[in-house]
Amino acid sequence: MIETNLDNIAQQSAFRHIHPGTKLLLALGSLIICLVSPFPAVPLISGIVLSLVLIVPGRISPRVYGTILLGPAVFTAISIVVLLFMLGGGEVLWRFNPLPWIDLSITSGAVRESMLVLCRVFGCSISLFFITLTTPISDLFNGMKRIGIPIELIDLMMIIYRYIFIVYDQAVEIWNAQVMRLGYSRPREAVRSFSMLCGMLFISSWIAGEDLIRAMDCRCYNGIMPSLDSAEPVMWRSLVPVLVYLAGLGGILLMMTAGMVAVS
Amino acid sequence: MNIILEARDVRYRYPAGREAIKGISFHIRRGEKIALVGPNGAGKSTLLQMFNGMIRPDSGTILFDNKPVRYDTGSLRQLRKSVGYVLQNPDRQIIAPTVYQDVAFGPANLGYDEQAIRNAVAVALRHVGLDGFERRAPHQLSGGEKKRVAIAGVLAMDPDLLVFDEPTSGLDPSGSEDLMELLDELNHEGKTIIISTHDVELAYPWADRAILLLDGQILQEDVPDVAFGNPHHVRMAHLSVPTLLDLSQELGRRGFAQPERKPRSVLDMIHIIENLLNRSEGRTRTGTITVCDIDKEHDMPLNTWISSRQNLAVGAMGTRAKQRAGHEQLTLDFTYGVIDKCILRALRGQDSLILTTGSMAGRVVTRVAEYCRESGNTIAVIPLDTAGSVPYENK
Repeated sequence: MIETNLDNIAQQSAFRHIHPGTKLLLALGSLIICLVSPFPAVPLISGIVLSLVLIVPGRISPRVYGTILLGPAVFTAISIVVLLFMLGGGEVLWRFNPLPWIDLSITSGAVRESMLVLCRVFGCSISLFFITLTTPISDLFNGMKRIGIPIELIDLMMIIYRYIFIVYDQAVEIWNAQVMRLGYSRPREAVRSFSMLCGMLFISSWIAGEDLIRAMDCRCYNGIMPSLDSAEPVMWRSLVPVLVYLAGLGGILLMMTAGMVAVS
Repeated sequence: MNIILEARDVRYRYPAGREAIKGISFHIRRGEKIALVGPNGAGKSTLLQMFNGMIRPDSGTILFDNKPVRYDTGSLRQLRKSVGYVLQNPDRQIIAPTVYQDVAFGPANLGYDEQAIRNAVAVALRHVGLDGFERRAPHQLSGGEKKRVAIAGVLAMDPDLLVFDEPTSGLDPSGSEDLMELLDELNHEGKTIIISTHDVELAYPWADRAILLLDGQILQEDVPDVAFGNPHHVRMAHLSVPTLLDLSQELGRRGFAQPERKPRSVLDMIHIIENLLNRSEGRTRTGTITVCDIDKEHDMPLNTWISSRQNLAVGAMGTRAKQRAGHEQLTLDFTYGVIDKCILRALRGQDSLILTTGSMAGRVVTRVAEYCRESGNTIAVIPLDTAGSVPYENK
């Protein structure tokens, strides 16, 4: 059983019952604003505000939230270090010249650019996390149908989504059985065990697939996968704050742009 | 006689070569509770899968509603609508990503319109006590809840015959009892039920008839006390004699006279023992059984009524009665075999209250009357609305 997966957090989110369209508007709206903003402050503000919204009224435990952010944070940190050395422009702030043919330097332009990238990544990832942490994928299927994604594709997605958990459970069971019998104690053993795990998983998925067809036949399958009962209606109570927030964020961006134009 | 399902000399060999069913014939009447009992590999699951046309016998015929089963797509759909099949592993049966979608699967594929689907799902979920679970994902449910979703998915198609493969496997004892009670409830509503199991203790008191299966053939087919009472057959089928039956046989072997009807429950056993000891004459007073129909009394202060009575045990029959008890935070003393347990209490001079719903309230009266007739005891069954003077005083 996957205990702390994103989908479980979304199922228990305090925002679960808000119409998915409203949440998508917030997430995509702030994502776009973060992307177009040439100032690091805008995505930074967006990221901080959305994080606070997720934690305080959204009731996600800060520890869990921190753990989730850790993955992208490590990845971003590494990329930023590379960017610092790769980008140029402006005056040189720091130079490292260990060997004649290796010249590493950090310039003020690189710092400015990397800060912007860092804040954008921060703002954008949190926008995306906002939707993943508040909306279980099953709530989105209805919306996908409405915007015209082919029904066959959605049916497939629904079945795949359902089976992710079954296959994952099986993988964990096999893994535990192997670990209990010291399957991963030595590198050679580990490779052997892991390949065995993959093989077993393939076979059991195959069997699960055959069972799925049988289970569907048992219930008169005729090509229809029912969709979830229509979600809660769009509520002004949630839509208005989203619009106000997006307008505010957009306003800050416009003001800063206007300020920059005036200075130049 | 109204026969719903019949098999005539059915045989089946798996493609790999093993002959799983070696000539089986039997019939099942409408409204019966049948337990198909046998060791692993006896052919139970194979036989069950023939009932809804998942497996087509090599020879012989299966008849549903006195008509031979046909294997074209249209006929199979009709058959599968009438024969609901609940697989052993609910994870293999639950297809959709949410409970609502899964329960709606059957009705949607049968071509119901949106409103009819919604109704069918609501009724089915209510039946298994899972209302409010519509938007939950199956992987978040416990084993017992998954089983109930699987059952609801089948109930939503409103079948006449329900087939359960190992219904209690993977459930804890209390979960198993709840499930068997749900099966009783469904049977009481007129559904014919066939289960396969190797749990004799569960099948013995529950079933109307038991079919012992061994190596693809029927070893014995009879009422449970006969089917499980033959030690030779029971041993051959790798089963064990149910404890109550064993006890009664042992008493018989020691020269204590045994009644014609073998004990099916603790109540029956107590009756036999009391008769042997001639205890029943000395009883001063029997307790009463109060029946509360939760559909009738809407805003009755049940809690107040219960606390006003001393030494009262409370039992609930049926999923909705149990839910109601949960909502009112009542502690239930009995949730399974409720009537028998309350009769046992009454015999000890203690009172009980049974919470139940409409159709099942009548069953309490019938069962108690039946017992009183057989045993010569008198136990009063009081509907709560007439005993209602007590609660309303407390208001």
